[in-house]
Amino acid sequence: MDIGKLQRLPSEDLSAITSRERRKFLRLGLTITGLYLGGTVLSLVSARRAEAAGGPVPATGQYPYNPHYTMVLREARCVDCERCKEACKTTNHVPDYGYRTTILERRRDLAEGTYETIFMPVLCNHCNRPPCVRVCPTTATWKDKKTGIVMMKPSRCIGCKTCMTACPYNARYFQEEKRAIDKCDFCWQARLSKGETTTACAAACPADVRIFGNLADPKSRVYQLLHTPDTIVWVLRPEVGALPNVFYTNA
Amino acid sequence: MKIINIISLAIVALLCAGVVLAAEEKQGAAQPYDENTYGPAAPIIWEKPVKAVVFSHKTHTMGAGLGCDSCHGGLFEQESGAAEKKPDFTMDKIYKGGYCGACHDGQTAFAAKTRCAACHIGARGLKRLRQAESDRTAPAASH
Amino acid sequence: MSSYIDAVLSIFPKGGGLQVERKKLFALSVAVLAILALVGIGSGLYALYAGHEHTLGTSRGVPWGILIATYVFFVVTSTGLCIVSSIGHVFGFEDFAPIAKRAVFLSIVTIVSGFLVIAFEIENTWRMPIALVLGFNLTSNIWWMGTLYGLYMVFMIIEFIMLQLDKHQLATACGLAGLLTGIAAHSNLGAVFGLIGGREFWHGPYMPVYFIASAAMSGCVAILFFTYLTYRFNGWTIGDKLKASLQSVAKLAALMMAVVLFFVTWKMIAGVTGEIPGEYESMAYLLHGPYTVNFWIGEITLGLVLPFLLILSVKAASLRVIFIASIAGMIGIFFMRYDLVVVGQLVPPFAGMGLVDYPEMFSYRPSCLEWLTTMGGFAFCGLFFLLGEKYFRGHMSEGH
Repeated sequence: MDIGKLQRLPSEDLSAITSRERRKFLRLGLTITGLYLGGTVLSLVSARRAEAAGGPVPATGQYPYNPHYTMVLREARCVDCERCKEACKTTNHVPDYGYRTTILERRRDLAEGTYETIFMPVLCNHCNRPPCVRVCPTTATWKDKKTGIVMMKPSRCIGCKTCMTACPYNARYFQEEKRAIDKCDFCWQARLSKGETTTACAAACPADVRIFGNLADPKSRVYQLLHTPDTIVWVLRPEVGALPNVFYTNA
Repeated sequence: MKIINIISLAIVALLCAGVVLAAEEKQGAAQPYDENTYGPAAPIIWEKPVKAVVFSHKTHTMGAGLGCDSCHGGLFEQESGAAEKKPDFTMDKIYKGGYCGACHDGQTAFAAKTRCAACHIGARGLKRLRQAESDRTAPAASH
Repeated sequence: MSSYIDAVLSIFPKGGGLQVERKKLFALSVAVLAILALVGIGSGLYALYAGHEHTLGTSRGVPWGILIATYVFFVVTSTGLCIVSSIGHVFGFEDFAPIAKRAVFLSIVTIVSGFLVIAFEIENTWRMPIALVLGFNLTSNIWWMGTLYGLYMVFMIIEFIMLQLDKHQLATACGLAGLLTGIAAHSNLGAVFGLIGGREFWHGPYMPVYFIASAAMSGCVAILFFTYLTYRFNGWTIGDKLKASLQSVAKLAALMMAVVLFFVTWKMIAGVTGEIPGEYESMAYLLHGPYTVNFWIGEITLGLVLPFLLILSVKAASLRVIFIASIAGMIGIFFMRYDLVVVGQLVPPFAGMGLVDYPEMFSYRPSCLEWLTTMGGFAFCGLFFLLGEKYFRGHMSEGH
């Protein structure tokens, strides 16, 4: 036996198996045992963990609506001038005691002993799995089948405020003038339904923080922003599993 | 003999360091803020074109060592609120080297395009400043 | 027309049973309770008219307050009374028969009181009948709760009428239907809280199960309280059969208190172990925060430990001690409902993110109008309790 020849032969231990081959083998096993069904019927990974691994942005082609209205907030650019808030107020007749969108303020300690301020715009997340819609006893609020906007029909609202307790984002308030819950509708009533292409807040933003658009369209800015390499995209409170459509990034 | 030398040297060195450090600290703490040298103590607040941007003379003069004429010699007039009235007091102009952008270019100081909220205190910051101001001027009102 | 009136009148007993002896005291009590109820209803109507934003202590952060807590208190009591009545009427345990008729009547009074209070909490009550039908939402626990409690009330009313007409088979059938819808409705009320994922203090299967356990306890406590009260108030003497019955109920009450205490203990331990965000802050608020008195004095001492020990110490023999235990229990149960509703909402949605000028915890304090409306609900309940004793002649307990 020529030891030298044997040594030159490719190794047959596990280190030589490429990950592609390994996956193929695994898939084969899972297919045989009936567990691999495209990950939809019986997923081995819970939705929450899958989101944590892949980020909150759904995979391309997985947007349930068209136009799939989305807002991307480029957080680091926000300077809290609140023109968005004012524009929203006048456009949607929001009373002084309420808001459809607002700016929160976060602080992060810096290495040099100071801190930086981060302004965080918040609004209705128009979730794909909206808790508010589930709890409404009268379907006064619903997820629009075409656009994915979470809509309100004031005349149907009985004012039980369950949606307010169910919303993980505190995006709803009771408007006495309308005698109904009021919330952001991505300016559907005031603008989009009349042919405008963006929301009042996005139009008013001087710093290009709020980008509104159709995520189902790969040419849209929102799509581009959410699919830029080397960037992080996050959503608020992903743990509640509401699958929000308002994304945050610093891209 | 040698050991004693080393120990005494170390003691002297420590004492010197202590004196220097203490003097430095004293200087930092005790040096009064002189408005004639360093400019107004109160922060400058601009509300236009957006709410709201803060400028601190102290950080720039006493802190960064700039003199009055570093800025008040073409970039900014000394009269308060003058910049706000100018139509070109915009981020665009600043990015091109105007106003704050003369230094905040990424070389001399951090670029104006970065760290927005370092100067932009926003409507929230403005509200907080005003609140603090009214608390200071009317402390009796709260009782 | 007159035949209808006769039919309605036929549910009222013509004679027998017990009669209100202290007519002046009775009239005075009825008058006071009626005034309080009217003041409460007036307050509730005014708050609806002026808008809750401007009149109630509730807010965007804490949209549910004492009125929801009072509603939950009443329906938990109603469901409990239904459970207690069904032990005698539906399942045929003789020991529980003497208190059953009053329990059925009071379950109707308490559910109506609950509806009255929530009518002032829901800002557009008048839209409810149409909206709940046109816009029915089968995934909404509130929808199920409303619908099932509506049905439940109808069943309980029919059961009561059948009992008055001595149609016992029909009454039993309706009693069973009422029990089943009541339990379904009440566990749905638990699910209203339990299925909200964003509120960790509520979220999980605990609420629906706990609600049923605490309903059974509330029902026992309520029937002990009201039965003893009416006998003392009217100067009636408690016969041996009723006494034995009340003692049995007291034992069941003590058992249910132990069960609820078990629930609360594990909720407490689960709430602090691992300091799970959201749940932990709420639990800390109860255990050693602003709600400490509510929790340790109200919920634990008055609601569970004291009545349990009182009943145990006299081996459920002394009715007077049982009555004191039931008063403590009723007050404690109200604290439980209040804390459950309010503390569950106090953790702000973005708490713990390091936000500036953002509360670490929300706060809620009932406004004057809320207190008045709550008081009105209790007065209304008391009023109809008294009227029931008079017109149904002490619910014919002794003759039954």
